[in-house]
Amino acid sequence: MAADPLDALRLPVVPVEPRPQFAAALQRQIEAAEATAEPAAAKPAESPGAAPSQTPTVRYFVDDLETAVAFYRGRLGFDEELIAAPSFAMLYRGGLRLLLSVPGVPGAGAPLPDGTVPEAGGWNRISLQVADLAGTVEALRQAGVRVRAGVTAGVAVRQALIQDPSGNLVELIEPTAGYRDRT
Amino acid sequence: MSTVSVRYIVDDVDAAIAFYCVHLGFSEQMHPNPAFAMLTRGDLRLVLVAPVPAGHPGGGSRPMPDGTEQRPGGWNRFMLEVPDIAAAASELRDGGVRFRNEIVTGVGVKQVMIEDPSGNPVELFEPLRAEARLDPSALQPRPLRAVLPQHSG
Repeated sequence: MAADPLDALRLPVVPVEPRPQFAAALQRQIEAAEATAEPAAAKPAESPGAAPSQTPTVRYFVDDLETAVAFYRGRLGFDEELIAAPSFAMLYRGGLRLLLSVPGVPGAGAPLPDGTVPEAGGWNRISLQVADLAGTVEALRQAGVRVRAGVTAGVAVRQALIQDPSGNLVELIEPTAGYRDRT
Repeated sequence: MSTVSVRYIVDDVDAAIAFYCVHLGFSEQMHPNPAFAMLTRGDLRLVLVAPVPAGHPGGGSRPMPDGTEQRPGGWNRFMLEVPDIAAAASELRDGGVRFRNEIVTGVGVKQVMIEDPSGNPVELFEPLRAEARLDPSALQPRPLRAVLPQHSG
């Protein structure tokens, strides 16, 4: 039997990696474009003394920018907003802005007056809510992500601690009975 | 609006609540036991926890499975935008707040690091240009021409 002539038109199935934050990033870009299109909307951003923004922002120190960006994008669903390689990146996930800085460079990574250089690590961390904590932690573990503390029950949440490639902690939580999302 | 949560380990939760509420404009949402408090400021939820022993019901500050205890400190921190960093720094200094450094002018921002009573850093910054502001809508989108392939003809 002759080959189906339409075979030439069929495309191979290419697996598509889901990017949960893609829609949110697109929305931000559209809103940003609209805001700039109207001078009145763009003005407050440039005028000194404008009310400070309250977008929650966190700075993490990382040893290697490229590896860190790949981790937060690929494993935790962050989107990149700005990359100033090799020392600085700005990522988003939902309402969180995460700044990644490499120690030892001018700006936030600059040594203190006494010579102390900032470094990755410590115990303070961002806390990200996920729908299926056990499944998420297992998937991350299989992908080679270091799990500092597996799933444990707390008050109104289950939680786990993972580490980025520089050893910074990221807390993952899944609400349980009694959790207050917003007061 | 989504809530963003950050957890800080502190030695003394009451002292930390006072610091964040008095100096940095946070509000106390709950403080159900001596080792835990939840504060908010805008969309930021700051969870303050004191280290607790293994087996304590509050799971966020228990020791790691290998026994390592959680401690305050480090360099990772949340950041707060202020309209006038010199004025803010002066006011905080007068209020007895500790500083890790002097005001530094970086790329697009002036910034300074203060410490809470447990030694955790908090960064204050004043944007010097629109891209450094926290409002995503202030970001300048690239014109499409810049990202589309150029027509060679």
